[in-house]
Formats: sequence, C-alpha cells, structure tokens
Amino acid sequence: MSDKIICRCEEVLLSEIVEAMKTGAQTEKELKLKTRAGMGICQGRTCRPLLEQIISFYTNKKIPQASNLTFSIPVRPLSLSALAHTGKDYKNEN
Amino acid sequence: MKYDLVVIGAGPAGMSAAIKAASHGATVAIVDENPAAGGKLLGQLYKEPKTGWWIGREVAKSLEEKVKRLGIDYFPENEVWAIFPQWKVLLNHGEELHTDYILLATGAAEKAIPVPGWTIPGVMSIGAAQVLNNFHRVNPGKRIAIIGIDALSLTVANELKLSGAQVIGIYLPPPDDFLDRISNPQQMIAYLSSLADAAPNHFLKFAGKVTQNEFIQKVSAAFYPYRGMKIWGIPLFLRKSILEIEGDKQAEQIKIAKISRDGLPEMESVKTIQVDCVCISGGLYPLSELASAAGCEFAYINELGGHIPLHSQEMETTQTGIFVAGNITGIEGAKIAMAQGELAGTVVSDRLGLLKSGTAIIKKAQARVEKARENALIKFQPDIEKGRELAVQFWDERT
Repeated sequence: MSDKIICRCEEVLLSEIVEAMKTGAQTEKELKLKTRAGMGICQGRTCRPLLEQIISFYTNKKIPQASNLTFSIPVRPLSLSALAHTGKDYKNEN
Repeated sequence: MKYDLVVIGAGPAGMSAAIKAASHGATVAIVDENPAAGGKLLGQLYKEPKTGWWIGREVAKSLEEKVKRLGIDYFPENEVWAIFPQWKVLLNHGEELHTDYILLATGAAEKAIPVPGWTIPGVMSIGAAQVLNNFHRVNPGKRIAIIGIDALSLTVANELKLSGAQVIGIYLPPPDDFLDRISNPQQMIAYLSSLADAAPNHFLKFAGKVTQNEFIQKVSAAFYPYRGMKIWGIPLFLRKSILEIEGDKQAEQIKIAKISRDGLPEMESVKTIQVDCVCISGGLYPLSELASAAGCEFAYINELGGHIPLHSQEMETTQTGIFVAGNITGIEGAKIAMAQGELAGTVVSDRLGLLKSGTAIIKKAQARVEKARENALIKFQPDIEKGRELAVQFWDERT
C-alpha cells in the first residue's frame, strides 16, 4: 500500500514514523524529536491524535492519561509584531 | 482590563455561560478566533422529529444578540495565545484581560484520517465542507466522495445533496493497522444500527434502519452488498474503501477497493472514479491545548473523544478558577453544551457572591445538563455514558 503523510505541516510519512519506532522511539515526545512530527505551524493539532494511535498500536500500550507531549505557549502561531505589542493598545496604532 | 469572567470560545457553551453570568451581574468578556460568533452551531441544519428545524445559525444569532444586550465585551478574531496565573489572558492583538475566573469553551477539532493524497487541494474535513456549504452557501465540489461513516458524515452528505452537489458515495477509510475500528465493516454496521433510535433527521434514521434490517443483522457484514445501498439517493458503501486520492494540482480521482468481511482490501477489485472533492470524517476530539498549557490535569477517555481536562460536577478543573464547558469536556451535541455553559456561568456567579441561594440554583443547572443528555437525539460517540462515568470516577479518585 502507498505511504502516507501523517504530519502534514512537516510532511512526515507513516514509514518514517514506523522506522523511528523501530530504532527506539517509544513515545510521542521521542517521535517528535526524531522526526519533527507535530512541530509544524499547527503544533500537532492535526497529527497528535494520529501519533497517539500509532504508538498505542505499535507498542501495544494504552494511550496515557496525560499526553507526554506538552503544549507550550504561544498555543497559536503569533507574529513577532503581535508579540512585541503585547500589553500595548495595538488597535489604536493601526 | 479586569473582568469577573473571561470566556474563551463563542460557541453554544461559551455564549450560554457568558449570558448566564452577565445576567446575574458579572462583568464578562468573550474571546473567539473566528469572525462570526456561534462556533459549530453555524454549520448545523436539520429537522428534529419533535421540535422541528434546528437552524444553528439562528440559534447563534439569538445568543449573540443576548451577549450584546447584556453589555458583554466580545473580542472576535482574537486568538488566546497564553494564560498566566492568576489569571491573565493574552490575546494576539495585544490585549491583556485580567480575571479571577476563566471558562475554556474551546470546543473540538476534527480528527484526520490519513489517506495517501489527503493533502491535495480539494480534500477537506467534513466540518470544513459543512461550513462552506451551510454557512457560506458554497458547494465544496460538484462530484464529492466522503471517507468515514458516522453521524456527521451522513448528515453532511444529505446537506451537500440538498444544495445541489453530487455525492458519489460514502466510503470506509482505507484499512489500516492503527485505524481498525473505523475501517472494519462489522464494527461499522454495529455502530450504524446504534444510531437508528437516536437519529435527528430522517436521513440518519433511515441509515440506521437499513443496518437494523433483520437480514443484515443476521449475516452481518459478510453479505452487505458491495454495490452499497442508496439512502436518499446517496450510495453508502460499508464494504468499499477509498485507498488513495490522486490529482495533480487538485483532487481528480479516487481509487476504491472492495473490503473483505475482516476489513482487508481485495486488490483485484481496485477501481478509479472521477471526483473533484473528497471530504474526510474522522470524528472530533476535545480541543484542550489552553487547559494543558495552564497546567490542568487530564484523563484520556476514548469514549469522550480523547484527552479531557479533569473537572468537578461544577465544571471546575484542577486549576482553581479555570472552568470548562462544551465539547472540551467530551463530544456531545449543542444543547448539552449550552446546558453545561449555563451551569458553569451559574457556578461562577455563585463564587462571585451574586446568587442568594446558590447551591439550589446550581443543583437545578446540573439537572438541566442531565435532562439535555437524556433528550439528546444524536450521540456522536457510541459509549458516551460510559465515558461520562469514567470522567466522574477519575475526578473522585483524585480528590
């Protein structure tokens, strides 16, 4: 069967994820560090549930109660200008 | 700016909570990243057997009018990018909202089903197709194939057809090791029959009834016809799967194959069919990134759609002052989300000292959530009750 993209932001293929698992990655965090899956602009909003399912399937373990992938701020893409304006009245300057 | 309550998400849960708290005298702000208030309500359009048409857009409009009338500060097209203790809500256009109470009503996001070619333009989630079609009144395509058979995909298929698009079929996802539940014909048939009694519209009801048919029940997936069954002119294929989407700059064709009873594709049966749009329906999961970033504790409950922030019967998370309502607590319908929002708004009003007999009023609000659950016509998750029990159990074990 054809390969497929799992993380569309970073264009990580299923075969790359399975390969990373064969060479030792066992958690979402390890997969992310190894393949960049979940590190793109959507910050894993699309592929995170897939990664959880894939790991659970291949390691034969339940999906953990608390994800070992942390969510960090900013939780949405933020432009540098917005960041620089934090705390000021941005609207009035436009 | 300082508020009594900051609500994140202007969907049915968030707006209901804001209205409740503001009507008791709280100063409230609502933030939403979308240009229009309403959240998932905006795409909803169906006829209910007892109460008639449910027009989500109208419901959203009436909630928004109440929000305005009560003087609630509404920040549309603003993304919350951080919550700092105790509590400061930061928006991407620079505003800083200070508050003692936050309600996270961020709803749900769609689960993807990875199919070779699923990133080609013209391929979209079923929710995107629903909003394009029902809210913006634009057909997402002329010849549409749908991947994934569930309450939402059946409903949207019907809506697409009503608006003049040709839905060439609703198919199983490609068989996949780690996606076996949704691409297995037998489990799909069991799921569909469970929808029959609870279906909100005639189309769904009919789909459920087809699979409740005694003949199909008896022989299960083994004899479900490969050619599918037409439900209101839309072929429903419980034994055919889309293996691949192809196209150069735009989705042009799909490869489909017959699926054996055990869920394996029969490669000699592969056929190519022309399409210009493919919609993927993989279900929803609670969108809880802010709760996680704010340090709330979580549980994974598959029956509720994924990871949910642990919360009390008063909708408070493990972080004092941060509340949750709506689909962030598990995938359910809009009426339940509204009741949960009203409950959270009531509890916050009580904490603010705005209610005289708070305990009794909160009890009533909790009862209304239960009532909304009993009356729910559609269950998006097959074992939602079990999921709810687990959520309560996890909370009790913790405290």
